[in-house]
Amino acid sequence: MSDRKTVLCVDDSRVVRKAARRILERHGFSVREAENGLLALEACRAEMPRLVLLDWNMPVMDGMQFLGVLRAEFGPDEPLVMLCTTESEFARIVLALQNGANEYIMKPFDDEIVAGKLVQLGLLEEAEP
Amino acid sequence: MDDLLADFLTETNEGLAALDGALLKLEKAPDDRQTLSEIFRNVHTIKGTCGFLGLARLEKVAHAAENVLGRYREGTLQVTPEGITLILSALDGLKSIVAGLESTGSEPAGDDAPLIAALDAAWRGEAPALGAAAAEALFEAAPEPLASESPAPEPSAPAALARPEETEVTAAATPAAGGGPITPAQTIRVSVDVLEDLMTLVSELVLTRNQLLQLVRARSDAALTVPLQRLSHITSELQEGVMKTRMQPIGNAWQKLPRIVRDLANELGKKIELVMKGADTELDRQVLELIKDPLTHMVRNSGDHGLENPEQRRAAGKPDVGRITLNAYHEGGHIIIEIGDDGRGLSVDKIKAKVLSQGLTTEAELAGMSEREIQHFIFRAGFSTAAAVTSVSGRGVGMDVVKTNVEKIGGTIELRSVEGKGTTFFIKIPLTLAIVSALIVEAGGERFAVPQIGVVELVRAGGSVEGAQIERIHDTPVMRLRERLLPLVSLSRLLQLDQRPEEAGQEEGFVIVTQVGGNVFGIIVDKVFDTEEIVVKPVAPILRHVTMFSGNTILGDGSVIMILDPNGIARATGVGADGPTDELAQANAMLRGAGSGERTALLLFSAGDGTPKAVPLGLVARLEDLPVESIEHSGGKILVQYRGKLMPLVPMSGHWTPPEPGRRQAVLVFNDRDRAMGLMVDAILDVVEECLNIEGASEQPGFLGSSVICGKVTDVIDCSWWLHQAGDDWFRQRSEVAPFRLLLVEDSAFFRHLLVPGLGAAGYAVTAVNSGAEALRLREQGAMFDIVVSDIEMPDLDGLGLARAVRAEGPWRDLPMIALSGRMDHDRLRSAIAAGFNAGLGKSDRDALLAALGDCLAAQTLA
Repeated sequence: MSDRKTVLCVDDSRVVRKAARRILERHGFSVREAENGLLALEACRAEMPRLVLLDWNMPVMDGMQFLGVLRAEFGPDEPLVMLCTTESEFARIVLALQNGANEYIMKPFDDEIVAGKLVQLGLLEEAEP
Repeated sequence: MDDLLADFLTETNEGLAALDGALLKLEKAPDDRQTLSEIFRNVHTIKGTCGFLGLARLEKVAHAAENVLGRYREGTLQVTPEGITLILSALDGLKSIVAGLESTGSEPAGDDAPLIAALDAAWRGEAPALGAAAAEALFEAAPEPLASESPAPEPSAPAALARPEETEVTAAATPAAGGGPITPAQTIRVSVDVLEDLMTLVSELVLTRNQLLQLVRARSDAALTVPLQRLSHITSELQEGVMKTRMQPIGNAWQKLPRIVRDLANELGKKIELVMKGADTELDRQVLELIKDPLTHMVRNSGDHGLENPEQRRAAGKPDVGRITLNAYHEGGHIIIEIGDDGRGLSVDKIKAKVLSQGLTTEAELAGMSEREIQHFIFRAGFSTAAAVTSVSGRGVGMDVVKTNVEKIGGTIELRSVEGKGTTFFIKIPLTLAIVSALIVEAGGERFAVPQIGVVELVRAGGSVEGAQIERIHDTPVMRLRERLLPLVSLSRLLQLDQRPEEAGQEEGFVIVTQVGGNVFGIIVDKVFDTEEIVVKPVAPILRHVTMFSGNTILGDGSVIMILDPNGIARATGVGADGPTDELAQANAMLRGAGSGERTALLLFSAGDGTPKAVPLGLVARLEDLPVESIEHSGGKILVQYRGKLMPLVPMSGHWTPPEPGRRQAVLVFNDRDRAMGLMVDAILDVVEECLNIEGASEQPGFLGSSVICGKVTDVIDCSWWLHQAGDDWFRQRSEVAPFRLLLVEDSAFFRHLLVPGLGAAGYAVTAVNSGAEALRLREQGAMFDIVVSDIEMPDLDGLGLARAVRAEGPWRDLPMIALSGRMDHDRLRSAIAAGFNAGLGKSDRDALLAALGDCLAAQTLA
């Protein structure tokens, strides 16, 4: 299961989800989407993804709340969580990493940055374009 | 366009629309954390997403705004009205960039530095108000000095101060707590095309279902009946469901109004409260789109013209805050939208002054109008009550445009206004343009649907002698309906479904009386079935040029029929088209005949010599084509058995020799209750609408003079002279001794020509003058009369003025006076009596005039 290249992209903006999906699919990932933390939890319960790309600010349930429930429910190892944030939220990045996020990425991200982060997380071979 | 960009635009526009409302909510409740974090998140999302598309301008503005909102959220900065204004102007900045992006696909050029500087200043906690004004000035095409001078909106700061910084609670920490509307409605986005396609498919399904039903009915196959009933039921429900998907709450069209009203209030220095009721009332999205702009305009109008400023309101004993109320509700198959204000109401005097200065009507006509009629002038083209053109009202849209737009979608607009209390407009529009109530008719063996909204009344023609008859003038069918000559169009001929030659007087059928603008005409059909709610399907592109149809529909029995468009029919036939749009002027034009410069329907015919002859169509009761055998000579008189009575005939040419049997004789019938006389003419030529200018009184008896009609010199006949020739007691001599002296004051040469001979024939010694001033001159010269008959509508000194002058002083002060008017309605009559007239009546009613003359003179003699 952990070999599968599956990503759950959690963001309230369809634009961001779509942008992420394009990049991730180019790298051979299969992508699911959720528009808030609550729906993301349901998606995880239904089928655990390898990686969650997580936005902070979302209606209904935000990224930090999601992270809390996720780690409490499934333990610290699965899935990998990459917080997706903006430069104005530095304090929160620290908080997120303390609360169990594995990596963070700045919006807007492009192919190169995403690929770099995926390599760091061990989800992608360095050699891949 | 990149679909990512398209998504961005949709998402961002939605976000911006939601922000407007949320910010106004925040202004009212500055410590509403939930609203604040919703605003923050929204701006944050916009900022976050523009980075993906490389939209630098948007990102910078959004970022600066987000910073300010961030401090609000942290509680380190007070939410103030000035601050809200600043954020709103940032939204405007975002919107204008997004609009540019939408139209060109890339960010438009522009300098956001002042706006960003203002936002940054606010973020640093510096006084934002000045910066806001500067920023606003940048985004408004025309900077309004009022904005910075107007008193600041009600300070809501104290409320905020009362609650010092609380420890920050993460906005959405408790998703279900607080009972706030956290869970969004479960919706999905579906393209309109998909819905339209679904609609088409459902219609097809209905058609198929109906065919199946008919098949089974014929075979009474029990095994099929039950599942088919189910199918039928489900189809109906499906149809209903799909119709529902097209419905949207009217609140969608109102979304922008709170913001508009807020800005308006600031701009005008007024305090305005906008109350919206029934926002969830649903109507078809197509209608919704069409009604959006007129509504916005009307709300602006209410705020700008309707409501007073706080000082005026206080002076009038009203609360400072003016109120604009929007209310929407369903009524029958319609939705009613009320736009009301508690402002100053429409000033009848101001409207009058404006109407006069714009030359929309004359003082004389105004005098005879009711308050309501005068108020309705605001719907007239080119009318605007704004004394000074403000930046708000000076946008070149008047209520006439609103009215046109409303009427375009089959709606109506009404108003109720009480001076000093306020004005309310009522817009009534159909819920949907997709389903309309229609009358199903048949013509030439084909069925058609006529939208009910266009049907004024339905008249059965032919059949009984007493009923309305379809008559023929030359080749044009007409019908006499309540003393009006109604032009008719035969549907089967128009659509070339029926090539048979027509026989006059043989026609039976139904006439659908239809109104297009101010023009009324009738459509002749063979049968009328029923009214049905029909689903309008657009006309296929290949048939678009056939403007007589507005669409097609599938009937309950599965047949596909065309929906008639009365507008298109009017255009196609020229009936009633291109007429003046003013209904009031139009309403009675037919019978009113013509003053100078007015167009009159004239009947052209030939008789005797080669010169064409004309008579106002309104004076002709019927046109007959009598078989020669029916005409009898008796005691020097020519008579015909006509509708069970003997009718005298007068030959136009002066003499009459019976033509050989088998021929027919054209006769113009003049009617007077139970009496009738016929004028025998050679041939009826045509009916035309012309300006009748009679030049020079004719020497020849029986003619008023000549006029150029259709480029030909035409003799205009003097009806009264010919009526007199009938030898009947049409105009009985009233006095065998000294005839009464009658002064006729009438500015229209046409009516003078028309009335003088008739009055003369009735035994009056008539003196005719063409103005009120002329009449008073006669008084000064010492002329004396027994009775005065005066037109009301005249230039300079009108009839009312004349009456007042006569009653005021001099030897005429006790003379009986009779007022004449082209249209003598109740109000007009009242003002005539008030001015001193003894009686008032319509111009065309010769008989009533003679009766009134008799009555007035009799009363005078007795007195």
